[in-house]
This record gives sequence, C-alpha cells and structure tokens, in this order.
Amino acid sequence: MSAEKIKVELTERLELIESMIAEGRRSTTRWGWTIVLWGVAFYVAIAWSLGLFGGPIWWQHYMAWPVTMVGAWLLTVILAKRMSQRNETPVTTVKRAIISIWTAMGIAMFALLLPLGLSGRSDQQVAIAVVTGLLGMANAASGLLLKWKAQFACAVAWWLAGMWSLFGTETQSVIAFLVGTFICQIVFGIYAMICESRERRRGAANA
Amino acid sequence: MPELPELNPVIHGKLRLALLSLLMGVEAAEFTWLREKTGATDGNLGAQLMKLEEAGYVAVEKRFVQRKPQTLYCMTEEGCMALAEYVAALKELLGETVIGNR
Repeated sequence: MSAEKIKVELTERLELIESMIAEGRRSTTRWGWTIVLWGVAFYVAIAWSLGLFGGPIWWQHYMAWPVTMVGAWLLTVILAKRMSQRNETPVTTVKRAIISIWTAMGIAMFALLLPLGLSGRSDQQVAIAVVTGLLGMANAASGLLLKWKAQFACAVAWWLAGMWSLFGTETQSVIAFLVGTFICQIVFGIYAMICESRERRRGAANA
Repeated sequence: MPELPELNPVIHGKLRLALLSLLMGVEAAEFTWLREKTGATDGNLGAQLMKLEEAGYVAVEKRFVQRKPQTLYCMTEEGCMALAEYVAALKELLGETVIGNR
C-alpha cells in the first residue's frame, strides 16, 4: 500500500472517531416542551389563584399552586418517560446533570414554599422572589453547563423579576412573574424547541 | 515506515471503531440507538459488539422495560484505554506518513 493511501485511510479513521464521539455527545434529548409546559402551568396557577376559574376562596388560595405544580410534575414525568422510550436516547453525563439540577430545584421549591405558605411567614412578594431566584439558579446552572447564552440570559431575567418583585408593589410582583414566565418559559421554550428540531434535522442528515 | 497491522486489530475495523467512539461520548447506549447511528444491520452490529465485548472493551446489560427486552452497552475502562492508545498510534503513524512524503 502506498504511503499516500495509508495516510488517507488513517485520516479517515481519525475523522470517524471525532465525528462519532461528537454524535454521541450531542444531546438528542428534547427539553423545550418541558419549559413551555411549566410556563403554561404557571399561568394556569396564577389564573386559578386570582379566581379566574371561580370556586370558593380557600380553593383558590390553598389549592391553585400545589395542585397545578403537582399536576405539571406528573405530566412532565409521564411524557418524558414516553418520549425516552420512543426515542431511545443514550444516557449522557450532561443529560444526567441537567435532570439533577432541575430535580433539585423542584425539591427546593416545594421544601421552601410549602412551609412558607403554611407557616404564614411569607407574603406574595417574598414567595415570588423565592420562585424566581430558584428558577434563575437552575437556568444559570443549565446555561453554563450547556454553554448556552440564551438560557443564562433567562436566568438574569428571572433574577431581575425577583428583585422587581421585592422592591415593587404586590401588583408589580405579579406582573414581574407574568413577564418572567412569558420571556423565560414561553418564548425561550419555543426557541429551544426550534433549536432542537434544527439539531435533529442536522443529525438525521449526517446519519 | 510502520505498517497498518501495528494498530490494534480489534479496534481497527470501521464499524467497531465507530461503535467504540460512539460509546466514548455517552455513559450507556441501547442497541437500537447504536444501529441508528451506524446504519449497520442487526446481525453485523451484534457480531461486532460481541467481538468488542469478548475483548473486554464493552460491557453489556440486558434488562426488561415494560416487558420489552432492552440491551444497554457501555464502554469499559479497558475500552477507553485501548481507544486512547489507538488514537495515539494513529497520530504517530500519520506523522510518519507526512514526514515520509516529504
């Protein structure tokens, strides 16, 4: 075999290794839909707690958030399981890290908000600041991990919404949360879905 | 100039090399995912994975998820080392071919 042929073959092997490692590491998991789903859940909870769906006052005050959040969590778990079975995506360290960050955030939110609400040591503005602070933390961690500036920008937006909630009036705190949800959950979630769909099409073309 | 056979023959096969490289980027992967990424047939893929398993480069876990059989593959430490050595040897050989052409 000539030196030139050997060189071509060896280069092909190196390129194959690089492309396959990159293919394996490329996260094929879809996250965008969960972001949008939680955004919708926040809006439903706010609408319910403000009495837009009617019902007794206690039902609006004490059930809106816990029921909506548990419902959204259940829906996320069921849909994620179905999707992972259908897509058979591999386990990657990044995937596990992202799931860990958001699971820890969810647990922290329940562990803080439930006692805050039940003990009466919190008002609406503090509760919103806690929620936005934790959402900002999880978005920042995910954004840094994925090197995704758009997600880190969402973290900053959540933190700003938290500050606005603390320094503004009660009405302004609700507006801050509504705006934060629209930008960081609905708009960013749809943007993430578009990016994932593009990435999948590129992946299918390369396969 | 060193000849190709000096490279690890278990890894040198294109499909086996692709499989090891794919597994390098993930913690574990299913048979179906590997098939999708490599475009190999079930028989060929199974045979090549078995060779990698026999060499101790890949570990296999079989389980049932909702009554459906699932085969998970992951790279062993030996596999990681073997691939790293293979890449180092490739680079060395490539360097020599470049020098040899001058």
